[in-house]
Amino acid sequence: MTRKIAIYGKGGIGKSTTTQNTAAAMAHFYDKKIMIHGCDPKADSTRLILGGMMQVTVMDTLREEGEEAVTLEKVRLMGFNGIQCVESGGPEPGVGCAGRGVITAINLMEENEAYGSELDFVFFDVLGDVVCGGFAMPVREGKAKEIYIVASGEMMALYAANNICRGMVKYAEQSGVRLGGIICNSRRVDGERELIEEFCAKLGTQMIMFVPRDNIVQKAEFNRKTVTEFAPDCEQASVYKELGRRIIENINFVVPTPMTMDEMEGLVLEYGLLDVGEAS
Amino acid sequence: MSANHQPISIDGIAYNQLKIEKKPITPEYVRRDPELVPKANRTVVVNPARTCMPFGAMFAGLGMHRGLPFVQGAQGCTTYVRYTFCRIFQEPASIANASFHEDAAVFGGRKNFIEGMRNLIVRYHPDVVTVVTTCSSEIIGDDMVSFIKAARKRLITELGEEDGSRPKLVLVNTPSFAGSHIVGYDRASRAFLETLAQDHSKPNNRINIIPGMVMPGDVREIKHLLREMGVDAYTLFDISDVFDTPLMPPQTLPYYPEGGTRITEVEDMGNSMATFALCQNEGGLGARYLEQKFEIPAFIGPMPMGVRSTDLFLKRVSEVTGKEISKSLKDERGRLLDFMADTLHHTMMKRVAIFGDPDIATGITRFACELGMEPVAVMSGTKTKTFTADIEGIVAESGAKPLILNGSDLFEFEESLKAMPVPVDVIIGNSKGADIAKELQVPLVRAGLFVYDRVGYHKRPVIGYRGGERLLADLVNAIMDFSYPEERTQQL
Repeated sequence: MTRKIAIYGKGGIGKSTTTQNTAAAMAHFYDKKIMIHGCDPKADSTRLILGGMMQVTVMDTLREEGEEAVTLEKVRLMGFNGIQCVESGGPEPGVGCAGRGVITAINLMEENEAYGSELDFVFFDVLGDVVCGGFAMPVREGKAKEIYIVASGEMMALYAANNICRGMVKYAEQSGVRLGGIICNSRRVDGERELIEEFCAKLGTQMIMFVPRDNIVQKAEFNRKTVTEFAPDCEQASVYKELGRRIIENINFVVPTPMTMDEMEGLVLEYGLLDVGEAS
Repeated sequence: MSANHQPISIDGIAYNQLKIEKKPITPEYVRRDPELVPKANRTVVVNPARTCMPFGAMFAGLGMHRGLPFVQGAQGCTTYVRYTFCRIFQEPASIANASFHEDAAVFGGRKNFIEGMRNLIVRYHPDVVTVVTTCSSEIIGDDMVSFIKAARKRLITELGEEDGSRPKLVLVNTPSFAGSHIVGYDRASRAFLETLAQDHSKPNNRINIIPGMVMPGDVREIKHLLREMGVDAYTLFDISDVFDTPLMPPQTLPYYPEGGTRITEVEDMGNSMATFALCQNEGGLGARYLEQKFEIPAFIGPMPMGVRSTDLFLKRVSEVTGKEISKSLKDERGRLLDFMADTLHHTMMKRVAIFGDPDIATGITRFACELGMEPVAVMSGTKTKTFTADIEGIVAESGAKPLILNGSDLFEFEESLKAMPVPVDVIIGNSKGADIAKELQVPLVRAGLFVYDRVGYHKRPVIGYRGGERLLADLVNAIMDFSYPEERTQQL
């Protein structure tokens, strides 16, 4: 049974980096068959897996050559450890409808039977903010059943995560999608781990992994590689390996209980602004 | 009539004062830039020969007994389609609409759908509602599967378990910016079978017919052919007694026509011996679905028009069911052959241009070749994968070399005909070709879905041997009308 997973989170939080590093670790250390379907119009969700190669996107092919030209041979590339990569692509900023692009790309992939049963995991790496119906396409019925949200201890990241949970509740009722946990991509904010743990408790979910900040990630990125490929023996690689294991073995799936604005602010005051309080 | 009858006064120009001047190509006619004639060179479609996907899904949905389409979109999406059905069939078409306004475009159509579906079912008690999406609902990303679940929940809460779960809801995704009405019907055929057909593993000794977007007369002709052979069949989207109904006091309130395919029939289609999709592009998806899911052999096209394709259809039905082709049908075939022989001197070597939906255009081309005519241009308004090859295969037998336009518009068709050094003798197509025929001063023989400027065409078939006779009579009469002075015709 293929597990389809959607990754959400605030823009710039490190969704694509985390997804690719985790997917690489799952393929490398646990021998899992994986596909990453990038659902961001910028089409930058697979470059670390593909070694910086610019992928022909589904939308580019549709625009240039028409629907019939969209074949798996054309839009699917194999990257590190046999990870399959697809990019939806989409319009330039400010024109057209990127949300429809996500819907069309996933429909075309399903028509081409891209999410075959030989795969263990399919990751949908979705644009930062779920701004319209199109960006919720990956969690519609029969698609991703699991969501992981990437967050950090910064206030705006938590607001975004909470907002995503609010949107999710409606879908959870209809399509059965569940929250598998929050991945903390650390920004070295004070009290970050405690804050996220408290945040997760309020949402009724778990912090599935605390990913510490490590320059090796940036270094690997400059080399267009995931950490697992660039330095498989380093400390950070073992973090992603552990995250991969926890996702593979995860049984904690919930419908989140999002917080109200007042609760959110109370939480941030309690943890995030401790330093400010002490200094003043 | 009473003695003090007063004539009704008419404002403006009365009908008997109307003078319509038929304008031939004048010497001042400026030929279009040849660069712009092929549709492939243009980004704009001029005089389109197709309409949008929801149209086909609505056509299908109305072919269900006590069936109502519900269009998830703006009101115009429904108005145009209802108007077109009225023009073609002169019958009312009840279609519900989610009535999208600015707020639905911003917030999504969830509320409109759930409220609208509730109102529709509470007031009209349909057996089945075809949920038809549109460009707007597809673009804003309405998650229809979850909307349908939510609407069902609401219905059960309000009407109770039994009444709330009775009406079937069948979703057909039809983004209008892709495909055409052909694809909408095709998708509906699959959606209905996916949603409703069940495998009871109880053979029913029947065959399934998916007729495509043909006329009530055609559906009746198919039923006639099968009745003569003693074959029982289910017709998926039986529009015959929906789009051509007797004028009688309503038997039910709210009013529904008596015709249409029953839900139980669709459910039982998973037990049939074979599926015949008469049009490969209109129903082929449904036939293939049954083949994959329940291993029911699928026979997809060609449309049984003329001699050869009708022969093929009857032979296949005979093989599948083991029923003989009856003497009566052999007689019908013989009468058509006799009629063809009797009129050969009118049809032989006549240059004919054909346009329409892909399957009927292919069927007419085959029949025209059987009549000894020479197709010089054949156009399908909807592009399909096989159209060009299909036509090439047909004309190869007679050696004709027509211009084949796969998914073009009537602008290219018209300009291509005008550019021909030897003019065409006759055009076969729907009402959209009326102006072209007038300008070229050649007869237009009407056939196909969009015949809205003449009456009665939906009642008579083009399918089967008798349909062939009917089409041939129209064709020869049209040629005689145009080609011979009246006094000459008297001596023929």
